[in-house]
Amino acid sequence: MEKLLVKTLLSWLNAFKFPLLCRKIGIEVPDISAQADLNRLNCRVRLTRQQKNASVVDVLSVEICGSIHAPDNGQYTTVRILVTDITDGFSTPEPVRSSVKKWRQPDSQNFCYNANLGKLPHAENTLADWLTVAKLPCNWLKLPHKGKRILEFNTSILSAAGGQELASGTCTFAYENSIFAHIDLQENIKRTKTFAVALAFAVSAADNKLYDCEVELIKNWARNNVALSKATKKERRRLEKALKKTVAFFRIGNQINCYNICKEVVEIAPVADRYDILGLCIKVAAANGTATVEELNLLKNLAHWLEIDTNRFRQMMEKILPPNMHQIEDLEVVLGITSDMSKKQTRRHLNNEYRKWNSRVTSLDPKIQSQADYMLTFIAEARSAYAG
Amino acid sequence: MTNIVGIDLGTTFSSLAILNAIGKPEIIPNADGERLTPSAIFFDEEDAELIRVGIEAINSRHLNAQRAVRWIKRHMGDADYHRTIDNKDWTPQELSALILKKLRQECSVEHGEINDAVISVPAHFDEVRRKAAMDAGTLAGLNVIAIVNEPVAAALYYATTRKVSGKVLVYDLGGGTFDVTIMNVEDRQMDIICSQGDHALGGIDFDREILALLEQNYKEKFNTELINSDEDRAKYEDEAEDIKKTLSRRRIAKKMLYGPAGSMRMEISREMFEQAISSLMSRIDILLEVALEEADIKPSGIDKVLLVGGSSRIPLVRQRLKKMFGSTPETTVNVDECVALGAALHAGLTMLREKPEQVPAGISGGLSDINLTDVCNHSYGTICAPIDKETGRRIVENRIILKKNTPLPCQASQMFYTVSKGQTELEVTITQGEDKAPEYVNKIATNKLKLPPNRPAKCPVKVTYSYDLNQRMQCSFEDVESGQALEVDLQLGQNDQMSQCDAKQKKADHLELFKVE
Repeated sequence: MEKLLVKTLLSWLNAFKFPLLCRKIGIEVPDISAQADLNRLNCRVRLTRQQKNASVVDVLSVEICGSIHAPDNGQYTTVRILVTDITDGFSTPEPVRSSVKKWRQPDSQNFCYNANLGKLPHAENTLADWLTVAKLPCNWLKLPHKGKRILEFNTSILSAAGGQELASGTCTFAYENSIFAHIDLQENIKRTKTFAVALAFAVSAADNKLYDCEVELIKNWARNNVALSKATKKERRRLEKALKKTVAFFRIGNQINCYNICKEVVEIAPVADRYDILGLCIKVAAANGTATVEELNLLKNLAHWLEIDTNRFRQMMEKILPPNMHQIEDLEVVLGITSDMSKKQTRRHLNNEYRKWNSRVTSLDPKIQSQADYMLTFIAEARSAYAG
Repeated sequence: MTNIVGIDLGTTFSSLAILNAIGKPEIIPNADGERLTPSAIFFDEEDAELIRVGIEAINSRHLNAQRAVRWIKRHMGDADYHRTIDNKDWTPQELSALILKKLRQECSVEHGEINDAVISVPAHFDEVRRKAAMDAGTLAGLNVIAIVNEPVAAALYYATTRKVSGKVLVYDLGGGTFDVTIMNVEDRQMDIICSQGDHALGGIDFDREILALLEQNYKEKFNTELINSDEDRAKYEDEAEDIKKTLSRRRIAKKMLYGPAGSMRMEISREMFEQAISSLMSRIDILLEVALEEADIKPSGIDKVLLVGGSSRIPLVRQRLKKMFGSTPETTVNVDECVALGAALHAGLTMLREKPEQVPAGISGGLSDINLTDVCNHSYGTICAPIDKETGRRIVENRIILKKNTPLPCQASQMFYTVSKGQTELEVTITQGEDKAPEYVNKIATNKLKLPPNRPAKCPVKVTYSYDLNQRMQCSFEDVESGQALEVDLQLGQNDQMSQCDAKQKKADHLELFKVE
């Protein structure tokens, strides 16, 4: 079952070019202790730590050794360092951006470090030992993705006068990036929306019935949120196909591991997006007029797994899925009473709920008025039963 | 001489009191000699222009329930509610006006013209419902000089006629509503601390529980419904009320049920009744606790509990109060009449404040040392668009400016800021309600404040609300930099446009066509 989930999601995600799920790291990282070839320019990168003010920062030390050929003796030179992310292969490099304006290429935000290297003594120069030419704090680099990254460093020695390249060397460096990077953030947005649709279908299918109104609601949400307004016809067709496939997946009784999805959503999505997901799921449960026990239980779990504040979850439920639409009256969902509350706490909590609904009962909106009436009766019954 | 009148427009009964020559309130009996008039209306079957109000309407309801109206106060202010009789749609205000008209005309016979009056309403009534009550008075030909909260009126009467001092809790369990008011009384100085109310908790709800017992027992015995028509329902509703009253005096009430499958003798014990109303009693307990929490007083801090309203006669009510407060509640005045009597006192105090020259010396002397400090009945706020701290998104929120239960007169200000660069207009909304979520509060006025052009975002706008003793609310929205301001004046009964007043007058004239007996 789990494989089916992965398959369905993958096909879906592939359709929307989500590389995260498909990416494998296939680059061999060379051993930096290997012997350098002194007939050419070699470079290597080492991760060091540097004390900066009160904190310690990660710094990438770029070192060179080997030969540099200059047209004349006493040539003034500069060093230029370009960095690309080649985790997905040499053929598909992704740019590494600079967080420091000074170290950006003139026409883009891509990283480009330039510094004066000084005068070369001869026309033919050989550096027998490793020489540090730059110390780049890691936070200068804006990597495309989080996680283990393979970075390619291209170090060039240029003539200071004309910018002519005198020598260049390339090396790779494996770096563990612990923060979400710029492409991640864009992908996470798409990915979160995709997960929203998956979870919404899971809610719809929780009672083993996918009502047309629920499916239509989810499809419309996906059309408005997953597909961008500038999406091509082909992309839209892909979305429709993916949605159709997903409906079929759930219609035959398949289920997905909502916990795992929520876990990932919590990792990649800001809290506002998580509210949106839960909002969609509650709307789905409300779509056919009654939320079944299974749907209510799943909503409760989703709120918990998505780390949504209990009170905010209840507020959302009050607005979208009022208790008269619940197949069962769950005290925790409807009133926020939990089993660990003492009689006194329950009573106090119910008083607050009563205060809240009693002020709503004079609403000019008949729907809210009748919901408030219902709640006041329910609160009084709960008090008789649990805190009398 | 100007008559100074207070009217208790109740869910089940209404009554009218007048201030006598020395400023003491007296109940004026109706034409039948009854001190209380049932708030029931019946449209005569033979004479389309004749409308019966009171006990005759109750009796006629058993014969033709379609032409009868009861408990109309529960629908007061409900714009969607109406009763269609003889092709005319009657609003709750018009129907209530018929009750007031009967009280007014029957009192006028003996005491002369009645014009100025104070009408009492439940403490929890919002502006819309208060306004509706005033409209009903206007339609009945009254000049409604003020509206008073029922528990405040009752407390006013208690405090001026009995020795009461300290922290007083007024427990007003009427025919259709329940109010709790906590106040501080020192001699004839009364300071309201807070009021809480439940709109759907009163005698008729207890009656419904008894009715459910009757129906359930009949069905269990005969497997047939006891009630098969509106007239049956009307009859058994009254029977249920009768049983409830009996159970306040005796431990068992007996009734014969004459249903379609045969008759049966039904006995309802006090225990059965108390079991049936247990969740209603829980609701009462909650409201009491909420009021005490709001006043920040423990039950032991209450010096006296004053009972108001017919349903406060239920023994269980009194037992629970005794258990909660540790003393027997005060029942030395007639619980059915004290609201009207207090409303008349309130009318006198209002007249003294607004038109002192029209108040006879005897009355003015009788009322001179009474001082009442009321509170805001609800919270008043405005709609704003802050950034949600958790999500970082801009949200729409109701921000309370004047908090419920703030002593009157009061004033409060808050600073808000424009949202966007170059904003030239600000939509201002005055809300009534306790919630942060705008959908749960009532918007009582909206307007637009023009702002100077070409300014950055976050320009300050000062919002000030004030509420005076005469329930006039003034709201000011001021652009601090330019000094441009929008003033909104809200006064109960006087915020109508002229055209609406004309329309109201026409409706009042229309009601004149009907004969009320």
